[in-house]
Amino acid sequence: MQGIVLALFICMLLALVTKRFSLPTIPFYILAGLFLGKSGLDLVGADQVSAFLTHLGLIFLLFFMGLEIKPDRIWHNQSAIVSSGMIDLNINALIGFLAAYALGFPLFDALIIAAAFFISSTAMAVTSLIENRKLLMRESETIVWLMVFEDMVVILILALITPQTGSPGVMLAKTVAVLLMLYAIIRFGKEPIIWVLKRDDELPVLLTFSAVLGISALSIYMGIPESFMVIAFGTLLGTIDPVSFEVQSRPFKDVFLVVFFVFFGISVNIFSAGISLTVLVAVSIVAILSKYISGIAIGKYIHKSSRSGIEIWANTIGRGEFSIVIAALYASDLVSGTIACMVIVTSIIGAFVAKYSEKIGEILLRQKNADLLVRPAGDQEG
Amino acid sequence: MALRSVTLPGIGTKYELETEKKDTIAVFFLKSGNIQMYTLQHESQTPSVAELTPQEARRLGAILTGAIMEADRESVEIAFSALSDLRLSLHTYLIGRDMAGKSLSDLQIRAKTGVTIIAVSRGENNIVNPPADFEFREGDAVVAIGETDQLKNFEREIMVK
Repeated sequence: MQGIVLALFICMLLALVTKRFSLPTIPFYILAGLFLGKSGLDLVGADQVSAFLTHLGLIFLLFFMGLEIKPDRIWHNQSAIVSSGMIDLNINALIGFLAAYALGFPLFDALIIAAAFFISSTAMAVTSLIENRKLLMRESETIVWLMVFEDMVVILILALITPQTGSPGVMLAKTVAVLLMLYAIIRFGKEPIIWVLKRDDELPVLLTFSAVLGISALSIYMGIPESFMVIAFGTLLGTIDPVSFEVQSRPFKDVFLVVFFVFFGISVNIFSAGISLTVLVAVSIVAILSKYISGIAIGKYIHKSSRSGIEIWANTIGRGEFSIVIAALYASDLVSGTIACMVIVTSIIGAFVAKYSEKIGEILLRQKNADLLVRPAGDQEG
Repeated sequence: MALRSVTLPGIGTKYELETEKKDTIAVFFLKSGNIQMYTLQHESQTPSVAELTPQEARRLGAILTGAIMEADRESVEIAFSALSDLRLSLHTYLIGRDMAGKSLSDLQIRAKTGVTIIAVSRGENNIVNPPADFEFREGDAVVAIGETDQLKNFEREIMVK
């Protein structure tokens, strides 16, 4: 208990400082965890209370993500989403996998690293576009839809890779049955739900909190993919009143997500897992370079311009919340440390690159024009 | 003039307008509640950006629609053609230091000029039909109604003092 309080206070102070300098907060929460936990002073350890709060952080993040998903809107924009998304997925997942495999990670670990490696931080991309006042850029829409595509891939991963054993057919049938039941409840219970949400007492927040926890408990009881169900539930509730559910669940998400990040850092042991610093640095550098290649490729494909590619790259370098989710759910100690390090390095460097993207673009493209006029941009890094 | 609106997931709603002279104005209603407004001059690459609170945005909107503002010297004239060409003007004034602390009855506005103060805007509050003992403060914006000549009188007799 004291450990959680200490960790939260440190995170609050860090948030004050990082917000002052417009830096992303996620890497600093993880750094605080590393400092307090196994990798550092070993002051705070995980216990049952922290495990429960961490779990709440995870499910509220996923629920929030679900609320944002508007299936019809995605359907209408599929052409914009799929082409750039597939370039992004193919390039980054492949490079991530090959790099991890070449560095000596076992096959499954390399796949998990590839997944975490591919997913840029939606939160950081959106914040950087708003704070650096780049919303008018034509690339910003491309970036936003790219993030939507990546979120879809996350959902797919969460749905497909489940620790549950048993027949996949039975699990699929159970999942579909529960989804249909939820759909029916939300469809026919719309009026009472809206009535509860409009009240100004504790009922709206109680409803939101218990519904999210209820879905999580139900999924675990039924043996169906919990993370996926929480997201799907968010999307279904988003058809009723997304704003109200966001308002009600935001405080839970904000607080428990900090617990989630800091305890992820606490549980990771970067040093004793037998990973050399070279590997950690190598993965982080490759992570930045591979988004450069995919960024340039998307820029050339969608906007016919390398300059656009630089902007896309700059705003998608940072890996964040979903890479950590993947690590927390699937990764071994060995892999968690690598992903933690990659998130910290890419998100901090990403914040700076996004801020100074114009100057960086000038420098990078000037060199390119000077010495390579024939080869397509982006080739030389591969 | 082409107006385009799109919803950007995670960001908010974007309205983009191209003016007749090919300048671009884009307004983003962010999920945080704030509004970012971009203006991009024709053939320019770098936009200018202003971030507004909802209140500031409403104020800007009121200026753009030409409605009365709390600033000094804004006015509208209303003509009632059915009432033998009755013309009334509504005018706003800002209260300066000289008038601060005086009440409506101290100033004898209606008796001296025929002008009626129908509303006072003070910070976030609007006081409609202020009572006779209402005391002005510096920075209040007042809405005065009367005929054009009466308002001229009001400016000379009351506002200048």
